[in-house]
Amino acid sequence: MKSVWSIGKREFMSFFITPSGYVILGLIALLTGTAFVMSFLTYVQISQSPFQFGYSSVPDFEETFLSPYFVFCGIMIMFLSPIITMRLLSEEYHRGTMELLLTYPLRDRDIIFGKFGSALAVLLLAIILIALNVCLLLPFTDVEKSVLLFGLCSVFLMGMAVLSVGLFISSLITYPITAGLVSFGIYLMMFIVGNVAEKLPAVAPLPNTFPLILKNIVERFYTLFRSLLLELPLDNHAKNMALGIFEPKDIAYYFLCTAFFIFLTFRSLESRNWRK
Amino acid sequence: MIEVQKLTKFYGLFCALKDVSFSIQEGERVGLLGPNGAGKSTMMRILTGFMPASYGTAKIGKYEIHEYPLEAKQLIGYLPERVPLYDEMTVKSFLKFVAQVKGLPRKEWKSAVDEVVHTCGLEQVFNRVVGVLSKGYRQRLGLAQALIGSPPVIILDEPTVGLDPQQVVEIRELIKNLGEKHTVLLSTHILSEVSLLCSRALILNRGEIVAEILIDPLKPSVDIERAFLNAISKEGIG
Repeated sequence: MKSVWSIGKREFMSFFITPSGYVILGLIALLTGTAFVMSFLTYVQISQSPFQFGYSSVPDFEETFLSPYFVFCGIMIMFLSPIITMRLLSEEYHRGTMELLLTYPLRDRDIIFGKFGSALAVLLLAIILIALNVCLLLPFTDVEKSVLLFGLCSVFLMGMAVLSVGLFISSLITYPITAGLVSFGIYLMMFIVGNVAEKLPAVAPLPNTFPLILKNIVERFYTLFRSLLLELPLDNHAKNMALGIFEPKDIAYYFLCTAFFIFLTFRSLESRNWRK
Repeated sequence: MIEVQKLTKFYGLFCALKDVSFSIQEGERVGLLGPNGAGKSTMMRILTGFMPASYGTAKIGKYEIHEYPLEAKQLIGYLPERVPLYDEMTVKSFLKFVAQVKGLPRKEWKSAVDEVVHTCGLEQVFNRVVGVLSKGYRQRLGLAQALIGSPPVIILDEPTVGLDPQQVVEIRELIKNLGEKHTVLLSTHILSEVSLLCSRALILNRGEIVAEILIDPLKPSVDIERAFLNAISKEGIG
């Protein structure tokens, strides 16, 4: 445990000795802050004249403004997280310090949990920045506490899952920039897949002339494939949570995703010991 | 203290080490000599647990490095060839970090760091950032991190490569002063270095130990040069 703390502390400090920590926190503050102001002003406009915007009455504050804002913050963190994760293990390989770490009396878990813990600490700082934006509203309006809490939790859980994916990619690639780009590409692909899946029809669009048996088989596969595409993207599961709806499957998804990629990182680091 | 049995290492189809066996007694200083690409660094990396051997065993103390990596690594201080360091840290924070990850008790951190700083002559640069250190100081810092916690086995991979003549003399002096409490395995392709620092030399060529020489302190360089050339030329003809 002491070694996990030492590795994590060194990594966390190096985020703020080098510019990367300031860059990511600065970008998160800038983007989420701008989005907050813009969407809040839009909400004010809508609530002043709801009919103009197609609403019959003043729309729900949490549903129209707060939840989408949290989902947006999660997506922002997803796309900015490669700046954090690209350096975790790739940089150790790139500058050769992995040779030191792996010849010190450390377990793989010390290195992996230390690195992951430091990334989570940066994520927590980012969430504090997001929470500060929302807290500005508290003196003026009665925000539903469950939405606030679950919203921030959804951002954290999404960030945690994203960081585990980035950590795994970083364990595979020895060039930090390449690791960052690959992680970014994966997140982008998942995001696009999620959006495309939402537009897919619920039933397979097959012609009526199709043989019945074949139609049944194709439809089964299509339904399975569609539901997989809908469940896979990281941001989809945050939507319900950000509305304050507690769905165990959403929380389980993020924890399982994190556990899976941490497991893969263990196997990746361990692979050096496989006798060839 | 170090016992290697039939160690073989393949990189794909290329055989970097072939059935290498040797042993080093406690307190002994042994030089691993060989031309570039002989397999010296591969040997060092296997002994320190950085990579596994394809076949064979390597014991540090009574622990086989692949079977009991943690216990074996507790006994090792290692200076890699390229001296990788965290450039953004200060010398002080880097050495403290090494003391922590080597598992030294908290109350010993300061004394362990002070000791290696004194041994390696790092007082002048103690608060400097590693990234701005000269090559000589980086090498000293590399040696200092290997010595922290006073491990019984010190493994040094080409410790004087790329240094200017004065720095070479300084680093050699440092290694000489390590005393008899450490078992030292030193790899180099500089013959005079082995004759100055070691009591025995193992000559590695094309992944095999081709000769073993006891160094006569009275005429060290003559012996070793002749033996090295003999070993290498025999291999070449063979």
